[in-house]
Amino acid sequence: MALKCSLLPALRYAVVASICFKLLLYPAYRSTDFEVHRNWLAITYSKPLKEWYYEDTSEWTLDYPPFFAYFEWFLSQFAQYADPGMLVVGNLDYASTATVYFQRTSEIVSELVLVYGLQNYFSLLPDNNRQPAYAIAMSIYFSPGFLIIDNIHFQYNAMLFGILVWSLVAMKQQRMLRGAVLFAVLLCFKHIFLYLAPAYFAYLLRVYCLDLSALSRNSLMGVIRWKNSILLGLSVISVALIAFSPFIYLGQVPQIFKRLFPFSRGLCHAYWAPNVWALYSATDRVLFLVFRKVLKNPVYADDMASLTRGLVGISSFNVLPDVQPRTTFLLTTFYQLIALIPMIITPTHDKFVGALALCGFASFLFGWHVHEKAILLVIVPFSFLALKDRRYLTPFYLLTVSGYISLFPLIFTSPEAPIKYLYTFAWIFAFYNVFDGLAPVRTTHRVFLLDRIAHVFLLGFIPLLLFVALYDKFAIFSGLEFLRLMLISTYCSLGIIGSFVGFSWLYLFT
Amino acid sequence: MATSHESTTSDSAVPTPKSEVPSIADEKSSNNPQGGGQQNGTDDETPLSLFLSTFKAARTQWVARQVIIMISLLFRLGVGLGPYSGFSDPPMHGDFEAQRHWMEITYHLPMKEWYWYDLQYWGLDYPPLTAYHSWVMGAIGSRIKSSWFALDTSRGCEDINLKSYMRNTVIISELLIYIPAVSMFVRWTIKNQKLSPLYHSIASAAILLQPALILIDHGHFQYNAVMLGLSLLAITNILMDKLVVGSVFFVLSLCFKQMALYYSIPIFAYLLGICIFPRLNLPRFISLALSVLVTFALVFAPIILTSAGGPKGPYDQVVQILIRIFPFARGLWEDKVANIWCTLNTFVKLKVLYSSDTLQRLSLVTTFVSVLPAFILLFLYPRKKALIWGVSASAWAFFLFSFQVHEKSVLLPLLPVTLQLAGDPGVNAQSYIYWINNVAVFSLWPLLKRDGLVLQYFVISFLANWLMASFKKLPDSLLGKVTIILSYAGIVGLHAMEFLIEPPSQYPDLWVLGNITLSFGCFAIFLLWNYVQLYRACMQSPPNDGVRT
Repeated sequence: MALKCSLLPALRYAVVASICFKLLLYPAYRSTDFEVHRNWLAITYSKPLKEWYYEDTSEWTLDYPPFFAYFEWFLSQFAQYADPGMLVVGNLDYASTATVYFQRTSEIVSELVLVYGLQNYFSLLPDNNRQPAYAIAMSIYFSPGFLIIDNIHFQYNAMLFGILVWSLVAMKQQRMLRGAVLFAVLLCFKHIFLYLAPAYFAYLLRVYCLDLSALSRNSLMGVIRWKNSILLGLSVISVALIAFSPFIYLGQVPQIFKRLFPFSRGLCHAYWAPNVWALYSATDRVLFLVFRKVLKNPVYADDMASLTRGLVGISSFNVLPDVQPRTTFLLTTFYQLIALIPMIITPTHDKFVGALALCGFASFLFGWHVHEKAILLVIVPFSFLALKDRRYLTPFYLLTVSGYISLFPLIFTSPEAPIKYLYTFAWIFAFYNVFDGLAPVRTTHRVFLLDRIAHVFLLGFIPLLLFVALYDKFAIFSGLEFLRLMLISTYCSLGIIGSFVGFSWLYLFT
Repeated sequence: MATSHESTTSDSAVPTPKSEVPSIADEKSSNNPQGGGQQNGTDDETPLSLFLSTFKAARTQWVARQVIIMISLLFRLGVGLGPYSGFSDPPMHGDFEAQRHWMEITYHLPMKEWYWYDLQYWGLDYPPLTAYHSWVMGAIGSRIKSSWFALDTSRGCEDINLKSYMRNTVIISELLIYIPAVSMFVRWTIKNQKLSPLYHSIASAAILLQPALILIDHGHFQYNAVMLGLSLLAITNILMDKLVVGSVFFVLSLCFKQMALYYSIPIFAYLLGICIFPRLNLPRFISLALSVLVTFALVFAPIILTSAGGPKGPYDQVVQILIRIFPFARGLWEDKVANIWCTLNTFVKLKVLYSSDTLQRLSLVTTFVSVLPAFILLFLYPRKKALIWGVSASAWAFFLFSFQVHEKSVLLPLLPVTLQLAGDPGVNAQSYIYWINNVAVFSLWPLLKRDGLVLQYFVISFLANWLMASFKKLPDSLLGKVTIILSYAGIVGLHAMEFLIEPPSQYPDLWVLGNITLSFGCFAIFLLWNYVQLYRACMQSPPNDGVRT
């Protein structure tokens, strides 16, 4: 586990250049997530551990698992030297220059975990086959998703995905135990990675805990690799124990879980994540308008309780039947199970990564109260497969372009707008060309027509974004403010669903 | 399409940038694919060359060029997130407010009022092309939000969206003029010197990421890139033997910002030289003279024509414009600037000892004397290789000796100096060029610090030096090495002292004075070195190197 001190020059240069750019983003817009993390710094620094998950002076209570709380506590030990003001729980919305610089810097430093993970991935491969790995690592490191969410909006995703990449590399090296422990650590940092847990669970079960070849020897007891299973169970449980033991001692676990899983939230987030429910909601809105305006149906004459007005708790529909949490849960589970089957039959690393991507897809597309940011859970695993062969590129482009553009509404202030457009465009432009030159060609089974349709669809983003940017100039749309966001999320959801279908096809039938 | 991947997959992930590039598919394929004795300047691997090696397949070199432009734009946008000159500093604010105010008055007032309206509050003091540019920007901006440019009531407006709009106008102006000019110049240089097409991206990046211009235009806030871009278009067209087009662009540059005069003497000498040597070419001379006159006339025509018959007639207008753009009444210098007058003033109180008239005459004579060698050399030896050295020598001479110089005017000599990087001048010259770029950015430090652009100053300076690995490069001569190392030590020392020590109360400007003295010394040394280069280029290049006769 010794840390490799020297980074490969290519990666090191990329890191320096990207840090230079990110430093310039210090004065940029910050979302409330900045205040969320400042508040957590304050809570972990000034409150005793037993109050961490009860403290509610700020509305942004601590709702991440314990490792993230410990991480914030660790950061707060340094924060006191930058500006003690940020560590006062009552200092709501405190954002002195030192606070901004400290938090932004801590984020940039924490990104080094991602760099370390990518470096490991990079050095896995033989020297003569590094070009594709290099391209993939760069595409993840320079992802507009991390730039928009972490460096402008403000979160620590790059660090968490660094742990994921690290774990994937361990899995690829057949170091299953290390991979499992890292993933358990990751879950104790941010529970959203539960989206990917089924693939991990099934894969570890299949290749590490079971030995199906024993079936042919008719030894039922031999099917289970007892030593491995016990080892795995103990390691994962001990990770959980390390994370939760103080709170188990204090008897606060139910309180933590209440914070981690707030089921009172609605089906869709304030801004709809581009998934199936976005399409469902959009259909509902359209039907509602048709009924009200065209059919003059009196039932629908009352004012629109808009889904997109920023109310988090709404899950009711005007025309279509309401969706129950159970429905979304069943759908998600169903699609995740389908994704696991090919992996269980042929348990290769690539199938495992594919299953991860599909688990991410299923949770993102069908899950309850999904955030648009969760698309990274799909994009990152998928990236590792993008250069498998040419057929994977089309779903990859659909996913990344739709996914990254769906993040645009997170940044709505004018100074950062050109940055988000240009950075994302530059990313698409550069990696489209690089990947295009690197993906191995496979002429059989290529459906050119679908590729064409996908490209036309992607080009459609240009008029869409122009229209959305000039939305205010069209007087007829005044009063239909929700339409702007609805357009983006429905169009992006089409792209992501298309990518899901294409990728599932490749994954299940090849 | 199917075969293109083969050339890249066979390379290692970290290919050396030196591998020869098969330029078959490239549009520059007609050039010598051997790269004409590869550039000795890029022998050592820089981060930039490594990055670009990803794109070394001929098919993707076009991609690399576009990516370089996008990256340089992104860094400009990043700097633009910072504050601008005069932010929340009423009543006069700064250059940002001046530019905004010009958009306001040009949009709302008839042309004949432009150069007369309330001169105490940022009266228009740039030539007409800037005024027209402001008018267009003001007209578009007023469509977006009229209160940004409402007459009189919009003064000191600090709407965040106005800032974004203004920043974007700088970016777009640069994208339309400066960046194409750089591309055109680099393409010509690479073709002319038979360099590898891969070098195109390296050269463009070296020029586009020049720190001083980014910090002044996108941080402090000005439109220097427009004037510099027009001048560069002029120089490039002259080098391409499109003399009439070149002189038109040069006049446009002069009409955008009078500071382009710094370039005028060598360009004039060169054009005059190729009209006379090797034999008199009267038609060329006449066509050049006509194109200059006609362009001037066309630029001034709208103002002159619209004022005919009014109380302030055409003659008054022209005189007023000249008075406004050549403010002799404003003294030898305004702010601290690293030229000879301000530096001398630290030791001898010039403004007390001599009258303004004497100083004006003195500055006129010294400027004339210091520019004269450039004029004579380029007139007698009008060589393409020498033109840019002459332009930079003249610009340095103007910057160091002339009247009413601003610290921002250091951008003028820096442009031609930085252009030399495109021709791959070798490590020795590169080291001087990177050095003087760094000194110039340092000389802007007091201004940028006042603007609140400390973070941007350090990040952009670091980025440019790191990308080009410029600190690894030192000149051949011992004297050069010592000069560069000592001046860097001085810069670091001055920054450290300013950070750590309060200046003594009787000299509150001590660090600034140290800054301008050090910068002036370096600039003066560089001017001498520049003259050596000019002399060599004039003597070594064969006569008639490509100019059609």
